[in-house]
Amino acid sequence: MEIETEIRKFVAAHYLPDSPVEAITDTMPLITSGIIDSIGMLGLVDFIENHYAIEFMPREIDVHALDTVERIASLIRAKLSGSKTDISPA
Amino acid sequence: MPGPESELLHEWLRHSAELAPDAIAIIEEDRVTSFGELLAQTQSLAVRFCQHGIQPRDRIALALPKNTDAIVAVFASLLAGAIYVPIHPRWPQERVDAVLAECGARLLIEAGEAGPRIVDLGSGACIEWLTPEETETDLALLPQLTAEDTAFILFTSGSTGRPKGVELSHRAVGAFVRWTAQEFQISSGDRIACPSPLGFDLSTFDIFNMALCGATVVLVPDNIVWMPRFLVQFVRESRISCWYSVPSILAGMLQGGHMAAHCYPQLRLILFAGEVFPAPALVKLRAAVPEALCANLYGPTETNVVTWRSVPPEFDGSQPLSIGYPCPYAAVRIDAGSGELLAGGDSLMRGYWNRPDETKRSFVMLDGILYYRTGDRVSVAPDGSYLFAGRLDRQVKRRGFRIELGEIEAALLSNEDILEAAVVAVEGEQEAVMIAAFVRLSSPGAVNTADIKVHCGRRLPSYMLPDRIVFLDAIAKSSRGKIDYLALGKMAERLKRGD
Repeated sequence: MEIETEIRKFVAAHYLPDSPVEAITDTMPLITSGIIDSIGMLGLVDFIENHYAIEFMPREIDVHALDTVERIASLIRAKLSGSKTDISPA
Repeated sequence: MPGPESELLHEWLRHSAELAPDAIAIIEEDRVTSFGELLAQTQSLAVRFCQHGIQPRDRIALALPKNTDAIVAVFASLLAGAIYVPIHPRWPQERVDAVLAECGARLLIEAGEAGPRIVDLGSGACIEWLTPEETETDLALLPQLTAEDTAFILFTSGSTGRPKGVELSHRAVGAFVRWTAQEFQISSGDRIACPSPLGFDLSTFDIFNMALCGATVVLVPDNIVWMPRFLVQFVRESRISCWYSVPSILAGMLQGGHMAAHCYPQLRLILFAGEVFPAPALVKLRAAVPEALCANLYGPTETNVVTWRSVPPEFDGSQPLSIGYPCPYAAVRIDAGSGELLAGGDSLMRGYWNRPDETKRSFVMLDGILYYRTGDRVSVAPDGSYLFAGRLDRQVKRRGFRIELGEIEAALLSNEDILEAAVVAVEGEQEAVMIAAFVRLSSPGAVNTADIKVHCGRRLPSYMLPDRIVFLDAIAKSSRGKIDYLALGKMAERLKRGD
């Protein structure tokens, strides 16, 4: 399954119950909009770390870098490929 | 040299800086600031405020992230006789605007690309953050203050939908901080973590004990506060000796064995307040840091801490930990009729900013002592300490933040597609509070869960957002036509259990 789809499914199931997966677009702000709060972010990071067997550094826990499905997916891809991650806010 | 007997918070900083200018005052990741540097920056900024025409009691809104500059701005505002108003940089714009309007802020300090940006909200003019050093003559501009002057206003959830500002004087803050310094023997050798936002009264322990005792305050980066793995690493590597936070943060560190996996030889004091610490987690905390003194502090923002107790060695978690006994500066009694805890004494607020009626309603004078009605029901335990027994109103706590459910309802009702809204909270002994919002829409499907969450997210801080949105054709009412919160609470409990 595509990373974007997996993230969308996780977000729908945990933070937007009763909403269809399609309601979550790739560019929809998830954290800055309030859909996912601080504790929710912890759940999201846990899911990503476990599901993709990657580990975040403290500096990578960034509201902007994790704010949309698109940015989360690109962060995961960058970490999976071992390249240096870009966490600068878009 | 001003003595430490001064009751003015900024005089404490001056005293510590004169005693040990090279000692470390603030650690913010790689940035280290000595007391001498902190005082110099603070005085320089305070002089600029005065040169700009800032008068005593003018409000200065601080919308900076929790960093060294924010602490400079805190002390500079105090030195200039102004009242600082912390604004969380992640609050939605609507809430920021509401708070700025409510307090009538004269200056706003926010993060800019090249450091803090200071804007005069009246004229739109900007004040420089960094300028050449001030002269002795400039320092003469700074006003003389008394302990009764207001130091800051902390905004908290308001049941009518408007956040309300709790006005606290130098004396009120000083009473609490001085007591902690003495009771817990805070010294210049301590490294005090600062995990809470500056708008949360817990942070007064961190930054003002730094000033009073010449201790080092170590700022916890906001992005790791709720990330237990990184937080545990931070406490260890920063050699934190004193910690004060809401139980939720500590409970997070205890989960999954993060905390128990390491030793913390420097960590000697753990204080917690703001919500009930689940007893089993507290037992785990004692086991993880057996050498540290752990203590439960209790008090709403309006009074700061008024009762406390240390966790007794024999505490086994079979009974909830009480909120303890009155602090020496506090006057505490129980209203015989309702069981409400009434709290007064030196740490009492001046009142709610610009809300004389609400202030009057929240106070009661008994036997010549002014008390704040906490809204908390308590009973007396066999050992004479107070036991928290719930709220008399609809206020709930989530992660130590207090939430008026009416404020969430007001945010929901500001959406034109929502005709009726009722919000309930389900509290459990172990699990986090769940907030459920029941809504009746103008037409089926007019808005969905995501729309409503985003709508609320534009108005409320993230900790106030409902976890579940339930769409109903009709909201349960009592025979008198009032919302039946009891019935909705039962529905919410079923939702939480997953029925």
